[in-house]
Amino acid sequence: MDANYNEENGAMPFTLKSLTIGGAAALAGLLLLSPVAKADEDVWPTLRQQAFGDRTIQAEDGMVVIEIPGTAEDAALVPLTVRVPPQVTQNLKSLTLFIDKNPDPKVATLAFGPAAGKGGERSFSTRVRIEDFSYVRAVLETEDGTLHMASKFVAAAGGCGAMQAKDPDTESVDLGKTIVKVFPPALEQSPIWSAQVMIKHPNANGMQLDINTANFIPARFVKEMTVKRGGELVFQMESTFSISTNPNFRFTFGRGPDNSLDVAITDTDEARFAAKAGPSGS
Amino acid sequence: MVPMKTVEPRPAPLQHALSRQGFLRAAFALAASPLLRYVPAEAAEGLEASEVAPGIFVHQGRYELQSPQNRGDMANASFVVGTDAVAVIDTLGSAVAGRELRSAIRAVTDKPISYVINTHMHPDHVFGNAAFKEDNPTFVGHYKLARGLGSRAERYLAINKTMLGEEAFEGIEIIVPTLAVEDSLNLDLGGRTLVLETQATAHTDNDLTVTDTATDTLFLGDLLFSVHVPTLDGSITGWLALIDELGRREAARVVPGHGPHAMALPEALQPEQRYLAAITADVRQLIKDGRTLEDAIRTAGFSERDAWKLFDQYHVRNVTAAFAELEWE
Repeated sequence: MDANYNEENGAMPFTLKSLTIGGAAALAGLLLLSPVAKADEDVWPTLRQQAFGDRTIQAEDGMVVIEIPGTAEDAALVPLTVRVPPQVTQNLKSLTLFIDKNPDPKVATLAFGPAAGKGGERSFSTRVRIEDFSYVRAVLETEDGTLHMASKFVAAAGGCGAMQAKDPDTESVDLGKTIVKVFPPALEQSPIWSAQVMIKHPNANGMQLDINTANFIPARFVKEMTVKRGGELVFQMESTFSISTNPNFRFTFGRGPDNSLDVAITDTDEARFAAKAGPSGS
Repeated sequence: MVPMKTVEPRPAPLQHALSRQGFLRAAFALAASPLLRYVPAEAAEGLEASEVAPGIFVHQGRYELQSPQNRGDMANASFVVGTDAVAVIDTLGSAVAGRELRSAIRAVTDKPISYVINTHMHPDHVFGNAAFKEDNPTFVGHYKLARGLGSRAERYLAINKTMLGEEAFEGIEIIVPTLAVEDSLNLDLGGRTLVLETQATAHTDNDLTVTDTATDTLFLGDLLFSVHVPTLDGSITGWLALIDELGRREAARVVPGHGPHAMALPEALQPEQRYLAAITADVRQLIKDGRTLEDAIRTAGFSERDAWKLFDQYHVRNVTAAFAELEWE
């Protein structure tokens, strides 16, 4: 994806090759890397066609709600929450998140299973990178096959080129370390419970320069995550590098006889990570 | 030579940042010192630099975001004059401002500018480097500075081009250290030695401190903020640990990266320590209660709001960084 992006934008590893660390190198040419041309183009018609064909999408019909700051303070780490209000009683089929102007606009797609639950407010939260002023969209598919969309415009820039790791040396130490937490509700009989998964992973998008080698740091990111409750599927997620470094997810699931969660993760290097947790957070 | 006159120390920023007792002690220390002389340095565009100790000159940057009006002059920049050579410590946020700094140096001394030291990678401290290329100095910095600046260069250039405008952006180049400091390094300027020490990840992962042995002046770069709200781009726990260590040091004076020309230890560190500790305590409690990043950016550390300039510009980002770090504890 990122390779296509570079070609499309005439980006230039060539200039970077000539960069020398001792040579008081002028990186001014890097400015050319900034996304060009697409600034005012409405890419949504194309995106929606690719993802959903000619199917009707009902926009802002209240079936799904998106929460994201209108102005992102740190474009490399923008909190994003999608809620399905409690009055929506159907099972959920899928949820797809888009950031129109990102190099890979599709952020994640979740296919829900029987343990996704219903009977209360359902939600999914993560943190994303936002490369440019852009619409952020959530498209929900309910079990009757209809599509519902919520969107919000966000002023943020530079989240993808930005290196989010403050200290790459410590960030790489525990790569793949995964923590799962289950939060039992105040009333244990509540049909909807919530949980969190956090993964120590750079989620590198291939757009950050390693000045010591004059190459881009290779892309490596979490591409798939499966969450099961007592062996039953809550959701299976496919994701891209629009998810921030150290991917973090909060989500709901349906209460069952066994409320322990199993999480399995695969990244683009085909490395696999797994973790589990019971209601006590063990 | 340049005429010099004595000015009163500036109590306002100190008062803002210190306890009453600490303020009185610091004000006394400065007032009792004959060192805070003023060099108008009226050459060129008239960038002012104060001589805070013999041969130690500090320019105080504005408490602002970069703009066409301030030309990136929004951090402190210093220079140290030895019998053989001059060392510059940080170069302001544009080549234009860097040239003004160079003119201020040339108004004081003709000695060769042999070293340009960057205390860390941020644009307001390194984007003036290009102004010193003609001196062919050794550019000196933490061994991780090049990596940090390199990976952020595209974004830094783009943001600063927008915020500074074409005129003030003109001539900016990314110049990384030609001499990388692994642990510590001594630079002999003739009659005085600068001791450069790399620090563990705190404000950034490439913070470097500088001590002038002749006057016992400690340049802390952005490990010390005063008046200007601290900005976190490294590790909040690392920074608090380092503040503990720095507070035990003895120096005649410290020079902050943002704040007055010179301050006294350990009082100078206390407001910053209080700010970072407040964020840490609030964020840890929120995480313990199972709350989210969204909750944190609305509440954590807001007790500090009235204590700092530029709080609204940087605080939410600080809390975001602190949350992303502390949730892994």
